[in-house]
Formats: sequence, structure tokens, C-alpha cells
Amino acid sequence: MVMGLTAQDITERLSIYLSGVAGCSVNVGNAQKLSGGAIQENWAVDADVSSGDWAGQHKLVMRCDAPSGVATSHTRAEEFALLKAAHEVGVEVPIPCFVCEETDVLGRRFFIMHRVSGIAAGHKLVRQEISKGLGRELGKNLARIHSIDPLQDGLAFLGQPPEYPALSAITTYFKYLDVLEQAHPAIEWGLNWLSDHAPEPVKPVLCHRDYRTGNYMVDAGKLTAVLDWEFAGWSDPTEDIAWFCAKCWRFGANEREGGGVTSREEFYQGYEEESGHTLDRDGIYYWEVMAHVRWAVIACQQAARHVSGEERSLELALTAHVVPELELEILRLTERTNA
Amino acid sequence: MRDRPSGAELLDIAREVLRDKITPDLSPERRYDALMVANAMAIVLRQMETGEQGQKDERQALSRILGMEGDLETLNRELANRIRFGDAGNPATWKVLHDVAVAKVAESNPRYLSADE
Repeated sequence: MVMGLTAQDITERLSIYLSGVAGCSVNVGNAQKLSGGAIQENWAVDADVSSGDWAGQHKLVMRCDAPSGVATSHTRAEEFALLKAAHEVGVEVPIPCFVCEETDVLGRRFFIMHRVSGIAAGHKLVRQEISKGLGRELGKNLARIHSIDPLQDGLAFLGQPPEYPALSAITTYFKYLDVLEQAHPAIEWGLNWLSDHAPEPVKPVLCHRDYRTGNYMVDAGKLTAVLDWEFAGWSDPTEDIAWFCAKCWRFGANEREGGGVTSREEFYQGYEEESGHTLDRDGIYYWEVMAHVRWAVIACQQAARHVSGEERSLELALTAHVVPELELEILRLTERTNA
Repeated sequence: MRDRPSGAELLDIAREVLRDKITPDLSPERRYDALMVANAMAIVLRQMETGEQGQKDERQALSRILGMEGDLETLNRELANRIRFGDAGNPATWKVLHDVAVAKVAESNPRYLSADE
């Protein structure tokens, strides 16, 4: 069990550690825990570097495991490597500075990145006046992510790409459903439809796998950072396109089918311009069914974490009550193309 | 006989106080918590209003298409198995699943139903 960190712990220990890294005196102050993150903690810190290459004031974020951190797909070091690879191909991300894998500094592994300003909360973003060009930028940034070659860019920890991403996703979700207490026939229905309608496999690419409104920051109408890389991995690129457009991630702004902030076409155009290839519209429909199934399965898992007493949380408890509308959407989407 | 206001009526007014009087004074993070509490109360309220009718209807519909009796958990498990191992794409099954989903959304988030019909 790792103890909780206080603002004082962080400023003191990071000052010493960063002074060592920079080879000069570094004064860390204003540590403030940022909201959100049951699995990770994010702390805003200011660093004053006295001399050398990094001399000056820096607004930073320190990201570490939360004390109750459950093992998720990626470690902090892996997330750091993903941010670096994304930054190198021009994706808007908080610039990663360095990663510390020793646990004797803060008691947990952590990395440091630049602090980016803006709003991420989905329910707020979709209620703002949307600036022209945001949808296109979101499309372009996603295309840049898909241009990363995990085998070349230090992302070998992602393993080998699946031969058939759609089928491996379906198999995974069946397995997830099998350990739940309750049966979910509507989700089974969706998975069955997905098995029957699986598209021809395409070459898998690095996918973000949680690229949606709520997981990027916008400041003064501009995209400033793509966040939440913990699910990144190999998949069919269409999975990311569809996840972004799926109705379940529009935060009620259903008329803007691109994540509640843009039109599908603007988002698609940005993607097509940057990637240089045309998107397969039928494939997007398929992966939108997958998006609702995936979210429904994850929501059931989150609800189970509360119900089993593993982690009592109102947020997790309420997630159970998102499942019915996801099931309804799965059924609606699979009616007209029923075999 | 219990006195009025009933449990549901109490919950309703309590939710109104939380939403209209308490929430506006809270910090943004606590406001989010308060809105979640209000949302949870609203779901409970709608479940109290429907009572057990939705569960009864679901059990009947499942019994009918499966041709067997049992509690809801057993029936749902059986239907899930049949869908996975053969009975997929059946319009009658779709109809039952759809009706059940609509009834559940009516309790969990009725706005979802009115938003696009």
C-alpha cells in the first residue's frame, strides 16, 4: 500500500530530484492536485530552474499512479513513450519531459510533462460555441496518431498487432461478459451482429482507443492536447474514427455527430487530408456498433466494481445506468442491417 | 397506512433542494458530486414510480420467447446463451430486447427517449 502524497511531499522531493536531473538548483512550488483520475494522479507544479538549458519558469504536470492504482494496460513509462512518439509526429500533446522509474523519489513511478491550458470536460465543451476548424484539427491529429509505426518508435511494449482486430475485440468482450454476475442479452446480440458483419481485416495501426470528446483539451477554440493514452494499442484505424463519432460520446449534442463538437464531414475531411486516403463509411458504421458494445461492456465492469464492494463509488454506480441506453442504441443500429 | 408525503414525494422535494439551493453554492468539483447525487435520486424516484411492473413485464416476455419459466436472472442468462450459440438475428428476440431496453431507459435516462423520437 502506497501512502497518499501531500503537496509538501511533492514540492520538497521534486525540488531535490529535479535539481539532480538538471544539475543546478530547481525550486518546485505550487503543487496542486488536479481533479479526476481514480487510477492516476495528476499534480500541477511550477518549477523554477536557476541555470542551464532549462533555465526559467516552467508550468508542469507530474503524473503518477494513484495509491489505489489497479494494474491497467500501460505503465507511466509506457504512457510517456506514447506521448513522445505522438509529439514527434506533430500530435497536439502535453510535451513529455522525462520519466522517473525509481520509486524512492515519490514512492511511485511518475513522469513530468508540460502543463497545457484549456477545457477537457465533454459536457462543457459541447455547450460552448464551437470554433471553425476544431473538427478538422481533431481529424488531422487522429491521422497523425495512425501514422506512428509502433515497431519503429520505441513502442515495442504494444506487442504484435492482432491479425484481425475486430474479431479479437469480440473475443475479448465475450470474455469480459463471462465473468460478470448478470447476463446481458442485448450486448450479446450486438456481439453476435459484430461477428456476422465483421469487415475484411485491414493493416492494424497505432490507435489511441479512447479518442473522444472529454479526452482532449481545447483552449480558445483550438485543440491544445490529446490526453488519456492509457488504452492506446494496435487496432483497425476505423475503430478510433467511429469511437469519436459514436452517439454515446456526443454528450447530448446529437446534431453534431462528430463528438458533439463538429460535423462528421469536417472531422472526416481533416483525417482524409492528413492521411491521404478516403475513409470507408460502411466500416465506420460497423465500428460504431462496436463502440457502443465496448462502452457497454466497460460500463458493466465499472458497475461490477462498485457492486462487488471492490471500489465503492457513486460515479461507478451510476455508470451501470448508462448501460440501458447503450443497449438500446446497439439494438437500433443492428435492426436495419439484420441478416 | 403510511402518511403522505410518501417516500417518493420526499425524495422528489429533497432532490429539488439539493439541485436548486445547495448545488449552486458548491465548488465545481463538489458540484459534480452533487449533480451525481441528484441524478441517482432521480433514478430511484423513477424506479419507485414504476414499481415492479417493468420487471414483471420483462419476465413474462422472456418466458414467452424462451418457452420456459424462471426468475429474471435465469431467463436473461438463458437468452444470452441462446443468442451466443445460435438464436441470433431473430426479429422476435430483437423486439423483446428492444422493449426491455426502452423500459430500462425510461427509468435510467428518459431524456434519451424523448431526444430523438
